[in-house]
Amino acid sequence: MGSKWNKSNLMGWQFVLLPSALILLFSFYPMIQSLLLSFQSGKGNVYHYVGLSNYARLFSDPMFKQAVLNTLLYLIVQVPIMLMLGLVIAYFLNMPGLKFKGFYRTAIFLPCVTSLVSYAVLFKSIFAVDGILNRMLMSIHIIHEPIAWLMDPVWAKVAIIAAITWRWTGYNMIFYLAAMQNIDPSVYEAASIDGASKTRQFFSITVPMLKPIILFTAIISTNGTLQLFDEVVNITNGGPGNSTMTISQYIYNLSFMYTPNFGYAATVSYAIVIMVAVLAFLQLKVGGEKK
Amino acid sequence: MKKLLSVLLLVSMTASLLAACGSSKSSDSGQSGTGNEGGSASKKVVAWAWDPSFNGAALKIAEELYAKENPGFELEVVDMAKTDLEQKLNTNLASGVKEGLPDIILVNDPNIQKYVTAYPGTFADFTDKVDYSQFSPYKVDALTIDGKVYGVPFDIGVTGMFYRSDYLEQAGFKAEDLENITWDEYIEIGKVVKEKTGKYMSTINPNDEALTSILLQSGGSWYITPDNKGNFVDNPVMTETLRVYKAIADSGIAKPVTGWSEFVGSFNAGDVATVVSGVWQISSIMDAKDQSGKWRVAPIPRLNVEGAVNASNEGGSSWFVLEGSANKDLAIDFLAKTIGGSSEFYERFLKENGGVGSYIPSFSSEAYSQTPEFFGGQAIYTDFTKWSTEVPGISLGMYTQEAKDALKNELPNILNGSDLTQSLANIQKLFEQQVQ
Repeated sequence: MGSKWNKSNLMGWQFVLLPSALILLFSFYPMIQSLLLSFQSGKGNVYHYVGLSNYARLFSDPMFKQAVLNTLLYLIVQVPIMLMLGLVIAYFLNMPGLKFKGFYRTAIFLPCVTSLVSYAVLFKSIFAVDGILNRMLMSIHIIHEPIAWLMDPVWAKVAIIAAITWRWTGYNMIFYLAAMQNIDPSVYEAASIDGASKTRQFFSITVPMLKPIILFTAIISTNGTLQLFDEVVNITNGGPGNSTMTISQYIYNLSFMYTPNFGYAATVSYAIVIMVAVLAFLQLKVGGEKK
Repeated sequence: MKKLLSVLLLVSMTASLLAACGSSKSSDSGQSGTGNEGGSASKKVVAWAWDPSFNGAALKIAEELYAKENPGFELEVVDMAKTDLEQKLNTNLASGVKEGLPDIILVNDPNIQKYVTAYPGTFADFTDKVDYSQFSPYKVDALTIDGKVYGVPFDIGVTGMFYRSDYLEQAGFKAEDLENITWDEYIEIGKVVKEKTGKYMSTINPNDEALTSILLQSGGSWYITPDNKGNFVDNPVMTETLRVYKAIADSGIAKPVTGWSEFVGSFNAGDVATVVSGVWQISSIMDAKDQSGKWRVAPIPRLNVEGAVNASNEGGSSWFVLEGSANKDLAIDFLAKTIGGSSEFYERFLKENGGVGSYIPSFSSEAYSQTPEFFGGQAIYTDFTKWSTEVPGISLGMYTQEAKDALKNELPNILNGSDLTQSLANIQKLFEQQVQ
């Protein structure tokens, strides 16, 4: 034991000491503070402890329910679409014979480096009443009157889903592409010799081999979607009604738009934390390696 | 040797970290603008505002006027986006940090009660510092909480109905036909305009509460009662407001828009015949230079309820002084003598930035009687100031945003034809849940 604490080990500890202290101070301390805050209620800076009543309020709060339903809807519809799309695109971009590979890869990854706000504004103008989408549909005579996309509770959600899919598909694709390049080509060769079709190869070799990566992207996408904020605020500002509002926007409203109730806002934040934890746990259970 | 190096590294890193903490503190107090750098005799105040060409420019005018009498007076205007300003103020006040805040801050009128009530003792009392009888009463009402008046009234949002005289003439209407009409008459005119010119009468945006706010205040009512209860159920003005809103949406005379830029774009592109909005909209309307001479202004239409008038208000802001500011007295004196009581200030503010205040003595000045060519030589400011004295005074309360959101939540159902009484009950319930 004593030999373990040699000089180089001690030095190592000296190096991690400072970062650890910073993490404790700027990451864990706020987490505990906000947990304490979630047991308090009040307006502005007049607070008092209310025990669990903030959490009880959560379950009877129709706005919160609406925000959770909206967010879960984005999650259930958008994440699978995006991951499938990313997987398929990555598969095509990984084909040995493809020309202009570099161009396609850059083009598909490019949305991920655009600013969240600027692309949201772009989508807003695409879906505007006299935006390009309506004009296109009208010029090919699919519709006769412009559709107010962002003012319809269903279409507005579709617009948001389209926006986040555009932004994040390339991001997930890069993970898949990297993983696919690690698969030994000889596996495919052997499969071809055995007579497996390309589709069969995709589902029987590529997908199973990518399982850990798919799990990883599913968890980060879930995490990201549960914290969705910029797109919704900039494209629809939660409307029409509150039909596209997300949980993060609700937290923002509670803290900065309404008479500030930071205690309740902290409670809603912890609701997200719990949801992320539960979903990540479920995904690990379902998709993780069985040991 | 290695060990010595690493220890040195560690020490220097820790030191620089501590130094960073220390220096951030000192720079904070520098930002707070208490002006301690220049000693206690400093005559510098710091103000936060959100539009350098409007309220920021107004402060500069005020500074010029005040510095004439008080040499050495210095004002620093910190410009930031409105939402950033509100967010910064909220987080600072809620965390109890007094450093880093300015001496003077601009507050949007619907936020006044919220701030004063949620952060007691934070804002300076102006009750005896300004002669409030010289201001439009509704503006002073918004600043009055428990008999005390906080802050100095600044710009107002008295509303008017801007209209394209050429479109309306084409549809067969004269200026008199638009004077003091009801909203139902407005819709009828709109149908004719749509038929004869193909232009929309107005815009509609179910995500924006500007129109419902205008309608409510014109009937002397608001989303919440003065004691901060929901004002949706058994409120005839609310019922009528939502009936009119639905009628406008159903009649097909309104072009749907989803945001501010589309809204402004609709009249700059000549798509709509009228714009019901605050007086501050003049500058956006005048952006379309090619439409010069075609615009006029009439009073807004009236609700079909007792006591409703053809005048209302949208938006507007006021200046507050922070109680904890080191230069509190100087800041109060500065505001009270300029924005709080100088006709010259309001004349220059109107001429240079197109801003309309609620300071009554300035209304009779030459600046307020100008007749812009853009509006066909109509003395629009004289008209607006006349209407501003007719706007019903209301208490904006501290939960305006919550109430608007509760209404917004139900609005799609109302527009789809659900039972209005039931919808109002739903809104009231939702609102009560939100403000508990």
